[in-house]
Amino acid sequence: MTLPPSFAAEAAPARPWAALASAARALLAGAWARLPGRRGRDNGAAMAQNGGGGRDGPPDLDELWRDFNKKLTGLFGGKGGPPRRGNGGDPEGGPNFQPSMRSAGVGAALIAGVILLVWLGSGIFVVQEGQQAVVTQFGRYSHTADAGLKWRFPYPFQANETVSVTQLRSKEVGRNAVTQATGLKDSSMLTEDENIIDIRFTVQYRLTDARAFLFENREPEEAVTLAAESAVREIVGKSKIDSVLYEQRDAIASDLVRSIQEQLDRLKTGIVIVNVNVQSVQPPEQVQAAFEDTLKAGQDGDRLKKEGLAYASAEIPKAQGTAARLRQEAEGYKSRIVSEAEGDSERFARQLAEYQKAPQVTRDRLYINAMRDVYSSVTKVMIDSRNGASLLNLPLDRLLQQAAAGPAPSGPAAAPATVEATPASSGTVDVRSREAQRGRDREGR
Amino acid sequence: MNRLGFIIGGLLLVLLLASSTLFIVDQRQVAVVYEFGQIKEVIQEPGLKFKLPPPFQNVGFLDRRIQTLDSPETRPIFTAEKKSLVIDWLVKWRVTDPRQFIRNNGVDIRNLEARLSPIVHAAFNEEVTKRTVGGVLSTQRDKVMQDVRARLADDAKSFGIEILDVRIKRVDFVANITESIYSRMASERKQVANQLRATGGAEGEKIRADADRQREVIVAEAYRDAQKLKGEGDAKASAIFAESFGRDPQFAQFYRSLDAYRASFRNKGDLIVIDPSGSEFFKALRGSGLQPAAPAARK
Repeated sequence: MTLPPSFAAEAAPARPWAALASAARALLAGAWARLPGRRGRDNGAAMAQNGGGGRDGPPDLDELWRDFNKKLTGLFGGKGGPPRRGNGGDPEGGPNFQPSMRSAGVGAALIAGVILLVWLGSGIFVVQEGQQAVVTQFGRYSHTADAGLKWRFPYPFQANETVSVTQLRSKEVGRNAVTQATGLKDSSMLTEDENIIDIRFTVQYRLTDARAFLFENREPEEAVTLAAESAVREIVGKSKIDSVLYEQRDAIASDLVRSIQEQLDRLKTGIVIVNVNVQSVQPPEQVQAAFEDTLKAGQDGDRLKKEGLAYASAEIPKAQGTAARLRQEAEGYKSRIVSEAEGDSERFARQLAEYQKAPQVTRDRLYINAMRDVYSSVTKVMIDSRNGASLLNLPLDRLLQQAAAGPAPSGPAAAPATVEATPASSGTVDVRSREAQRGRDREGR
Repeated sequence: MNRLGFIIGGLLLVLLLASSTLFIVDQRQVAVVYEFGQIKEVIQEPGLKFKLPPPFQNVGFLDRRIQTLDSPETRPIFTAEKKSLVIDWLVKWRVTDPRQFIRNNGVDIRNLEARLSPIVHAAFNEEVTKRTVGGVLSTQRDKVMQDVRARLADDAKSFGIEILDVRIKRVDFVANITESIYSRMASERKQVANQLRATGGAEGEKIRADADRQREVIVAEAYRDAQKLKGEGDAKASAIFAESFGRDPQFAQFYRSLDAYRASFRNKGDLIVIDPSGSEFFKALRGSGLQPAAPAARK
């Protein structure tokens, strides 16, 4: 511990002075203790007993008084003896007063020395780690002491005040209390677009300058809260609600730190803002449902869009599939048609070669063959037009029905039915089912 | 009396004298020394100081630290557009001229605050009335604070204080407007919600429509290509046929006709009503066919 030289010079002469003062104080106390005893002697033994009880003060003061009495014996004579002893304690008290003035002086010096030591010891103080102590000398700032065992000049010369410096302190801003005039919660505030929003946060801070913290502001910690309240409203008042709620949410904390720090620095509070934790940023309860619905609407909109995308991603590949099928089919058709054409024309070419060798025969043969194929497979009705074919009334629909029923009614059972169908006409109706069967047989072979 | 008595008495006297003439000025304070009630001296420096004993001089102390004046009441103030705002403010001030301060106000700091707050409120009133809500709230917030501070400068001087900072703490509408703000906020949100839903729906529809369009285009293009291919096939086939049939068109026609007949009449359901008399095929049936050509053809 280093002291300014001026102080050391000042303190040196002060020390003996202080020793003297404390000795005088001790004397005064002794004199006071003696008073009731004196009164007791004047008023009687009963009172003396009473007074004796009142004399149960600190023993060292009694001792001191006795020492001084010894010195005063010569001046006061017989009357100078202490009242206690004067009342009948003389025989034992007398010899006690015999020790010399020198030993009494030594005793007094010893006592004074102890008192001095105790007094000096009261200047020792401990500064914990993370704390700082500000030492003032007659109220004026002297120096700042860091952690450790420290000594300063005792009262009334110096005093110390210890404050936690590194320890983080925190203040919560934004409570639920409702302000009467506005009907708003403490945490509510207006945004630039005149909406209301609730913000709660905590400010964490610590001290940088114990001296400034103690001496510059009346309520430095309260100043943090006020600065924070003012800062948050300023920042929010300059932002739109959407940016506070969503876009700029993270920026608020750092803006707050800056703004609060600026205010505190202007006031020289000796406080540094470490952190601002924004706990909640939300619309007021009265409109929360609407805000939630908006969020939901965003998701709904997204969903509709996604559904559209899903539709598209299902539909387009399907269309591409269809397109590929169309192309392939066309490709197939083309190959088929060309090949068929080639085949047909090849076949024709071969036929033609034969035909040219024997045109008539080939032609007839081809014709008959074709006709046979045709007639053998279809249902047919033969009419002889020379016998009044114009009168013919064929039940065509019935014939068709029968034909559609398939080849089942073949054989003799079918024949009469067909014949009966045309009795009115005089024409010959020849149902060629038999021949048809024959045709089928031939085909079967 | 005696020597010791003198010493003690002397010491007591010194103590008494010291306690009445010496005084400590704390780092946080300024001291004012009065002489017969009149301010004699102002001591700004902290430390151990000296004055004359009581009947002649007395000492008083003032806090020299920065004080905070928080707005005590919340009376609404009208803005330029006649909306009433509740403004909370705080003023940071400090005693700079103790002589002036005491002369005007006495030594009680609370007393000054009681006098200062209506003045600050009035200054805010003046500044806010000139401005709109938006101005007070955001764009001119700093300006309002500065102007109020400027307005307070004269008063501050007469009070013997210094205004270090004027801050607007809260700016809010009065309670009955607050309700309508809530309903407006709700309807704004509703509008946004509807817009979001509608936009999402529209986008979804757009994507669908685009998908449909693409599908149509893809299929149509494929159809076009397919038709083209088919046409090419047909053309090629026609060319082949033409080339081959062209060698004997008459026979080709006959030949193709026969093929066509075969292809046309192949079901049992097909019904042909025939007059054998006119048909070449039935020539033999009618008995007029002498040539044994038909059986010969049947092989």
